[in-house]
Amino acid sequence: MSDERDRGRTAGIVVTHGKLADELVRTVELIVGAQEDLYAVAASDLCDEDIIGRVRDIVGGRADGNVVVFVDYFGGSCCINSVRAVGHEKGIKIISGVNLPLLLAFATKRGTMPFDEMVDHLIRRGRESVKVIDL
Amino acid sequence: MIALFRVDDRLIHGQVILGWGSVLKPNRIVLADDEVAANEWERNLYAASVPAEIKVSILPLPEAAAQFRRGIFDAERVILLVRGPKDVVALMDLGLAVSEVNVGGLHYREGREKIIDGVYLDAAERGIMRELVKRGVILDGRAVPGNRPVKLNSRVV
Repeated sequence: MSDERDRGRTAGIVVTHGKLADELVRTVELIVGAQEDLYAVAASDLCDEDIIGRVRDIVGGRADGNVVVFVDYFGGSCCINSVRAVGHEKGIKIISGVNLPLLLAFATKRGTMPFDEMVDHLIRRGRESVKVIDL
Repeated sequence: MIALFRVDDRLIHGQVILGWGSVLKPNRIVLADDEVAANEWERNLYAASVPAEIKVSILPLPEAAAQFRRGIFDAERVILLVRGPKDVVALMDLGLAVSEVNVGGLHYREGREKIIDGVYLDAAERGIMRELVKRGVILDGRAVPGNRPVKLNSRVV
């Protein structure tokens, strides 16, 4: 499907504490199906240099740019090391405060809208989903 | 028209709204279930879980079959959801024409055996699946559209 190819052009890297990244990616795939170019870096047993190395390796393998790095906690080590790794590179956005709705929006919307517009949309979805449930 | 007829014991949830919804782009979900239709709280809970651009009808089985028969949904793209295989047989007996059913979310519980990932059946449900096979229904086993589809017809005999 051409749809699948379009989606593949924008990559995502989830970088988190513990094993949260692995489970977030696994759960996204459980809900919307297998994903191409969505990577997990779970910092559980990794040192700073390894986190930086992994993120750089993933980004380095993609000559065409447009990568979103999702980190769990603004100011945490995953955030700081992601910024160290690729924060200065063009075509890469780092979003903190990743949650499941935000990541599901990424999986279903990438390739359907311009990159910057998609980034705004993801942040909106992530924020909207945090609310008191009042039925 | 029915874009997807799915058996899923979770009824409306992420795999349906996002997994199938983002591919099929339905404008209506028909949840056919006697229990949910009779419970206002459950109805509201499911209805509130659906994005605003998708309409929702939560109906007892006979009313759902009647509305399909009357052609009320002919101009729409509908995802029809039921809880179990017996509901598919019931809808057919009520006059709904069914050629294919997606079997995607029958989760593990005591007494159920695994058929494929995400699909577990007990002996009675296997029997009902065989009845559907006898009636010529194709059983498409997969949780979400991106998964490899597994035809369950030969696996329930």
